[in-house]
Amino acid sequence: MNVTQYWSQIRAVIRLEMRKTFFARRGLWVYLLALAPVLLFGGHAIDMMRTRQDRHELARAHPVLTSALRSIKPGMTPDEVIAAVGEPYRRTSVGGRRRIRTWWNYTDGESQYTFGFVDDELQNISIRDTGNLQQDKLIFATVFQFFFLRLAIFFGCVGIFMNLFRGELIDKSLHYYLLAPIRREVLLVGKYLAGLIATVVIFTTSTALQFWMLLIPYDSATTSQYLQSGGWSHLVAYMGVTALACLGYGSVFLAAGLFFRNPLIPAGIVLVWESANLFLPAALKKVSVIFYLQSLCPVVAPPDRDMNQLLALLISSAEPTPAVWAVTGLFVVTAVILVLAARQARKLEINYGTD
Amino acid sequence: MSAPPPIEQSLVVFENVSRFYGEVLGVNRVTLSIPPGITSLVGPNGSGKTTLMNLMTGLVRPTRGTIRILGVTPDDPERLFRLLGYSTQFDSFPKGLTGFQFIYSFLRLFGTEHAECEKQAWKSIERVNMVEAANRKVAGYSKGMRQRIKLAQAIAHDPRVLVLDEPLNGLDPLVRAETIALFRELGAEGRHVIVSSHILHEVDTISDQVILLSNGYVVAEGKISGVRSEISDHPMQVLIRCNKPGVLAARVFEQDSVVEARVHADNGGLLIKTRDADKFYKLLNHIALDGIEIESVAPADDNVNSVYEYLIGGEESTK
Repeated sequence: MNVTQYWSQIRAVIRLEMRKTFFARRGLWVYLLALAPVLLFGGHAIDMMRTRQDRHELARAHPVLTSALRSIKPGMTPDEVIAAVGEPYRRTSVGGRRRIRTWWNYTDGESQYTFGFVDDELQNISIRDTGNLQQDKLIFATVFQFFFLRLAIFFGCVGIFMNLFRGELIDKSLHYYLLAPIRREVLLVGKYLAGLIATVVIFTTSTALQFWMLLIPYDSATTSQYLQSGGWSHLVAYMGVTALACLGYGSVFLAAGLFFRNPLIPAGIVLVWESANLFLPAALKKVSVIFYLQSLCPVVAPPDRDMNQLLALLISSAEPTPAVWAVTGLFVVTAVILVLAARQARKLEINYGTD
Repeated sequence: MSAPPPIEQSLVVFENVSRFYGEVLGVNRVTLSIPPGITSLVGPNGSGKTTLMNLMTGLVRPTRGTIRILGVTPDDPERLFRLLGYSTQFDSFPKGLTGFQFIYSFLRLFGTEHAECEKQAWKSIERVNMVEAANRKVAGYSKGMRQRIKLAQAIAHDPRVLVLDEPLNGLDPLVRAETIALFRELGAEGRHVIVSSHILHEVDTISDQVILLSNGYVVAEGKISGVRSEISDHPMQVLIRCNKPGVLAARVFEQDSVVEARVHADNGGLLIKTRDADKFYKLLNHIALDGIEIESVAPADDNVNSVYEYLIGGEESTK
């Protein structure tokens, strides 16, 4: 056999596997996992666009200049505020025996200004922008790192890669492959590539859609300014990290499907390990897929402000690995796992009764 | 590694092969040389037939001993599965494929080009008479159709060795006859056709040789008549149709080896039990010259069913 023939066998395996990985009914939940953040950002975009439209309508009915709104300072009386910016479009009062609290709402079409009065004295001013791309970028980074990488891609890879061997053992159809003149290593590579193609297509498409949903509510000037000043490289980096996550987790779960009868056990162990990564000492952090993936993310996800103080104390920081090392590390780890999986595949026997 | 001797290049060879599933015995100390032709593996459930077939094809590995299929070990799938086709007893298929796609897709695993795979797939589908159903999903096939499409897949690459686990299960009588004819055709072409079955009369009609298995051991192997003649503790039974069964009965007792003679109720024949069939047949030639008209002579227990019953036990022969 030469390389051309091996490649032709790999393509035959991929062709057979594609049907299962992309169109299997039991794989529908993988699509749902991948689409969940798209729906989240889509919902956010719709909400933003609707809010903006409402504010524009309110601004038309109650016109006020942004500069005038910005000139309002705490300590002013309601009359002074009315003199500067006119009547609010909404007043809300909460009255007690001693103090009366009142909130006045204004909008310039973009932001909502809320002036809070206590006993006829302006005490606080809150400004809510319709959209803040800077803030949304951080939300995207958080959702990407804490939901998409750690849960969606993770479990998507569990569903697709574990089924490549384990699923066929359960369906009692793996023997057809083992009765073909194909090296087990070649079979493994073919199956792995099929799983990789499927997960990369599903999850990088999801990443691109999420990114699109993130930008959709912003005007073209804001969007193009962001894209020109690093936005495109963010998108490429996020899609690259997604593909690398599929590469790394895929190899782990392909091997797990060969080594374990019950896929929930290895999935649980890896999930706990990857989730505990935040709290692991710096040296141990590096023995995980998520550490390298986070090192490659273009925006650092901010820590959770509501996190318990005790947990916050446990968080250890490790210097992110340079991109070259992170990518090389992931490829090396993947190769090592695949070699181990290939050795296990060589020993594989068909004994459906006990599988 | 040294090349196997030339004779081995035409045999399926087991050398002292054992396979244990933990504490449970699969097969034990099996030594066999299977020549070309139709060979049946016969034995009750759990006797080791499927284990032997799985060992031959590398789906399970021996705990000890060696196996060679025409000189190739099961650890070398790239060479082995160009020589061998296996239709397993597993009634399961990759999901979503039509009969044609099932065969075609697995032919592509050989590294063969599209056109050649298509040609081979249709040829094998034609051989099992499944052309009309070939473009339907396998999931919608009847048991008999699934058996035939598995058989088509096993023969699609034109293997020299065919291993077929219970291939006649679920086939209706007509298709069964066609399939047996196909086995004969393949056997006559000089291929090894190794079939497992527990339907003894079928085995009897199709096999060139049998391998009888019980509890993981090979209890007998070879041609049926040869195996039968080796069973000395059960006298051979011979049915004779003649005009004077009473006279014949008296004459045959001249021989010490004849232990029983029973006249048929219609007084038109006789059942003889003898410990030396060859000697008995010689005597019969002399008797025929003495005026007894012998219409027919036929061994009554020179078949797999009897051999099986004598060697393995009556309670299991009904399976």
